[in-house]
Amino acid sequence: MSKTFSNTYILLYITGLVIIIAVLLSAVSLGLKPQREANRQCEKARQILKAAGYGDVDKSEANALFAEVTRPEKSKTGREMYAIQCADGSQGHVVYVNGKGLWGAIWGYVVLNEDNTTIKGVAFSHKSETPGLGAKITEDDFSSSFIGKKLYDENGNFVSVKVIAKGKGNSIGLENRVDAISGATLTSRGVDEMMYNSLIEIMNNPNNQ
Amino acid sequence: MKKYLGPLSKDNPILVQILGVCSALAVTAQLKPAVVMALSVTIVCACANFIISLIRNTIPPRVRIIVQLLIVSALVIVVDQVLQAVVYDVSKMLSVFVGLIITNCIIMGRLEAFAMSHKPLPSLIDGLMNGLGYGLVLVIVAIFRELLGSGTLWNHPVIPQSFYEAGYLNNGLMILPPMALILVGSLIWIKNSKKSSVK
Repeated sequence: MSKTFSNTYILLYITGLVIIIAVLLSAVSLGLKPQREANRQCEKARQILKAAGYGDVDKSEANALFAEVTRPEKSKTGREMYAIQCADGSQGHVVYVNGKGLWGAIWGYVVLNEDNTTIKGVAFSHKSETPGLGAKITEDDFSSSFIGKKLYDENGNFVSVKVIAKGKGNSIGLENRVDAISGATLTSRGVDEMMYNSLIEIMNNPNNQ
Repeated sequence: MKKYLGPLSKDNPILVQILGVCSALAVTAQLKPAVVMALSVTIVCACANFIISLIRNTIPPRVRIIVQLLIVSALVIVVDQVLQAVVYDVSKMLSVFVGLIITNCIIMGRLEAFAMSHKPLPSLIDGLMNGLGYGLVLVIVAIFRELLGSGTLWNHPVIPQSFYEAGYLNNGLMILPPMALILVGSLIWIKNSKKSSVK
């Protein structure tokens, strides 16, 4: 420890170390990419199937079942969509929704009925919301509260589904609102904006199905 | 050899040094994530200790913390990627806590206190033992929380159905973070009451 190091040595040392680590990490990341992608794809299939009422599908069967009951569609704006046959036999559409939570991206899949007016189920995911607070958007308690909600108010205007604290915004009809998660106001607002901004694209182009 | 066994009991990182408590509270609601977290920390701690010890004479003291952080974060990223590839559901459960291994005081503490001044092999063992000492507490807490909170162990039901029929209920409080704090506190209490060296 009594050795002294010149500034040049320190600079070269750190630079060298960073380069070595960067190369190693890239190699690891690329090497594991196929497996990570496969896991994500499988997770997505399971989420959509769950939202469509198929329950918790086993990982080994998820991809096959997903391919069987869904057919890819695209909205005019390029948003990821699928036509799906729900567990109860009815036809529906799956819309990919995305937005931002408190700390990072949030996204999910919304299953709508055939004429895109009523929600049949949702499944949300997040990158880095607070465990126990914002991260609760992935839990069944929250996602099941969306089932049966309407995207239009009684006058036929598109309002999306508001995620709002109990007791607030009393003018909003029960069919157009779900309770926000207490303690996670900003993540709840993120879900609210994500639903509105993503779904309005579809509603403005109703003929693109 | 005896001095390496300290972290398991006498110098336990959580119970005696009170390090790494944050993640110990967060990931112990179930046994499976607790074990995965314990393994991850053990691997990172042992490898970081080994690598730092290997290059300890080349590290300029003025930037040693930066070098340590570089090595630790590289290892944590590798662990995170492997978890995502191999046990995706557990990696989702652990979420941010895998990334936070970088700031786990146990790892930085062992690098500074041990690896910088010892040979590679002893450093490897020291890191291993400290990781295991941390893991031991995690597993004990997780067993209590999962058993009493959900009536399962490693997701298998262990409390017989007849108990539930007789009116037994899972203790929902066990799932919540405050109960982890109380359990860790109780373990520290038991630990301290049994030994005279802390006064």
